[in-house]
Amino acid sequence: MTPLLETRGPTPLLETRGLGRAFGALQAVAGVSLAVQPMELRAVIGPNGAGKTTLFHLISGLLAPTAGHVLFRGDDVTALAAPARCRRGISRTFQITSIFPELSVLENVRIAVQLKIGDNFRLLGGRAVLEASEQRARDSLRLLGLDDRADELASTLPHGDQRLLEIAMAAAQEPALLLLDEPTQGLSPEDTAATVAVIRQVARERKLTIILVEHDMDVVFDLADRISVLHFGQLIAEGTAAEIRANAEVQKAYLGGLD
Amino acid sequence: MIPSRLSALAALVALAVVPWVLARHQLSLLTDLLIAGLFAMSLDLIMGYTGMVSFGHAAYFGLGAYASALVLLHFAQPVPVALLAGALLAGAVAVPVGWFSTRATGIYFAMLTLAFAQFLYTVAYKWRDLTGGSDGIAGVPKTPLFWGGPSLASSRAFYFLVAACVVLSLFVCRAVVRSPFGRALQAIRENERRFTSLGRDPRPFKLVVFVIAAVFAGLAGALFAPFRGFASPEVMFWVFSGQGLMMVIMGGIGTLVGPVLGAMLFILIQEVLSSYTEHWMIFTGVVFVLIVIFLPGGLVGTARRLGARG
Amino acid sequence: MANLLEQLLNALALAGLLFLVSAGLSLVFGILRVVNFAHGVFYMLGAYLGFTTVALSGWFWPALVVVPPVVGVLGALLESSTLRFIYRRPPIYQLLLTFGLALILEESIRVLYGPTAKGVEPPPLLQGAIDLGGVLYPRYRLFLVVLGCTVGVAVWLFLSRTRAGLVIRAVAQNSEMADCLGADVARVRTLVFGAACALAGLGGVAAAPMTTAYLGMGINVIVDAFVVVVIGGLGSIGGSMAGSLIVGAAQTWGAFYLPETAMVIMYAVMGAILVFRPWGLFGEEE
Repeated sequence: MTPLLETRGPTPLLETRGLGRAFGALQAVAGVSLAVQPMELRAVIGPNGAGKTTLFHLISGLLAPTAGHVLFRGDDVTALAAPARCRRGISRTFQITSIFPELSVLENVRIAVQLKIGDNFRLLGGRAVLEASEQRARDSLRLLGLDDRADELASTLPHGDQRLLEIAMAAAQEPALLLLDEPTQGLSPEDTAATVAVIRQVARERKLTIILVEHDMDVVFDLADRISVLHFGQLIAEGTAAEIRANAEVQKAYLGGLD
Repeated sequence: MIPSRLSALAALVALAVVPWVLARHQLSLLTDLLIAGLFAMSLDLIMGYTGMVSFGHAAYFGLGAYASALVLLHFAQPVPVALLAGALLAGAVAVPVGWFSTRATGIYFAMLTLAFAQFLYTVAYKWRDLTGGSDGIAGVPKTPLFWGGPSLASSRAFYFLVAACVVLSLFVCRAVVRSPFGRALQAIRENERRFTSLGRDPRPFKLVVFVIAAVFAGLAGALFAPFRGFASPEVMFWVFSGQGLMMVIMGGIGTLVGPVLGAMLFILIQEVLSSYTEHWMIFTGVVFVLIVIFLPGGLVGTARRLGARG
Repeated sequence: MANLLEQLLNALALAGLLFLVSAGLSLVFGILRVVNFAHGVFYMLGAYLGFTTVALSGWFWPALVVVPPVVGVLGALLESSTLRFIYRRPPIYQLLLTFGLALILEESIRVLYGPTAKGVEPPPLLQGAIDLGGVLYPRYRLFLVVLGCTVGVAVWLFLSRTRAGLVIRAVAQNSEMADCLGADVARVRTLVFGAACALAGLGGVAAAPMTTAYLGMGINVIVDAFVVVVIGGLGSIGGSMAGSLIVGAAQTWGAFYLPETAMVIMYAVMGAILVFRPWGLFGEEE
């Protein structure tokens, strides 16, 4: 049945409807409805404890919501666990760097590709899978500027490069939606600037939709097309950088969040 | 790498030559060492490559030994049939045990594998009609390689069977850890949560490798029964499971060859100790404590560290 | 009906013994992040030392008082001479170390006492049976029920109401934080380890008149205790209590209705809980 009156715009790549998660009495995320369009770069900001990371867990499937739905490409994926959502095209990074420390940088990225493209239960041989995934991994490392460190152990990389490695792993999976949880956390100003440039480049070259949680407001205003503001688990504002800057409620939330 | 290929070749040549160099009881000891080596190597698959510490691996060795003993004694089949039976029974039992145990992680996994192993031990102990209870099954014959084929009754012939099984298993396990599956296992070992968020549920991987490890442990047990001529509950005992972990640590975790060497050294130490005292287990315990405190990297790791320093 | 009461008391007596062992196991895990494989051997040691004390003094009660501290001190000494050095290593090393300690202790007991089981007479007051409204029930088992309940309440009160208990829980939550609070973490660890061993020793003494002191009782009880903490959740005293009751009940009714396959019931219960709550009833999801 074709609707006679199609008033809505194109299907958002990701949509959340009334998404909520409670931990006992604590309502970490409550009634969040977002719509992120393809190729958009969306930032989610908010004071500490606003529920940003919980929201990421809900979108990526690491946590099950206690209310609401997650729609990806128009399909309800609420019931899918994290691995299944990843295979559908949602890749993510973590606020606290999460890599495979005692594997090489290349292997970190290669395994990310292998887990996405499949044939993981090949017990013997499997040279073709290994080579194909290695090729894609090297491409991703080049994109992130880590190709000259491919053979080092991931644990020996400096913190900034480990953050980039995480992005390389996610980007190598060629997702439709990339979730970045505080990619510049703990970085020096120079590394932050470099990371911002890299994220912009990755978004452009891979035609990615990105949702970004970030504390650094300069990074947010610099990168984001649109910004969503969370406060005590609720969405209190959404708009362009200029709109958010001018929003009185956001200012109150941030000033209130400081004491 | 050329040097490691060379040493592999040297090891193969040595394995082929020793039967003509060693005395009979020495060759018999070496056979023992190799069987223990195969057991430790199978444990390394889950412990070293997947990061799952099983405290009940002896159960699969024991299941292999019982299956092999029963097949040889009651059905008088050629030895390879018994080996197959041992490996299959161990693998089959590992499916349900692994299915439950891999629901838990870390220390809970270790406790669960121990609990299930003690359960199997008790079954072996109490099911007198089948297993002979605490006496076990004695008089397990060394049947030929196949009907009308070469006899395995001589210690030299049986040694070659064991050596061939160990070398073959080593090659298969090496291929497994280098396959896409094996690479995935190592990623699980490093960071299970990251693995999950990269698109796969780790549990099926853990279950499959648990079963593979059980199959090889079962094979080791299936060789043990005809070699020693018996199967008894002792081979399923918790002490043997713990010794397996120690063999892996001594040899170097996550190296496959290391645990084989670790197992050989461990059994040798026990042999020496038991020639001096009946209560060698005390000293085994002391060796345990000392190695854990002072040589955590095992032989291979410690040698590497010393090499790097020198 | 009478049968039910008897079974219920049997389950409680068994649960009491299991609680004495699993509470210590759980407490040590909570504070030291170590699963003490040797814990069952301390229980066994308690039983054998109980046998010796009774043999020397001719009385049972002194054993109940003297043996637990002795086992506790031995445990504390072993902790501070071995385990203390490897807390920073991955858990497998601590498990292996305690495994080595278990081997040493178990074999030492074999050397000292020989392979045959040692029976221990219960005190005259607790010999024979008591009439519980038509049911004749062994007095000693009733004593075990009372002992288990008393110790359970005492441990709970200690942890929740005293300052020392507060420090222990603080260390369990976060050892670095506790360092800042001025708690001497190394000492807390040693004391907790010793106290847990003393509890296990108490369990051993108490068990000896019922089960005799025998080689292998250590591994038997540690396996049961592992099942208890898998069911109840490691690090939780409430979990140990619930797990002990469940395992005690499963074993008692299993032994009554399916004598040949009593253990299967216990494993079935554990399996069911694993399917629905892999981190245990009272444990925290990782």
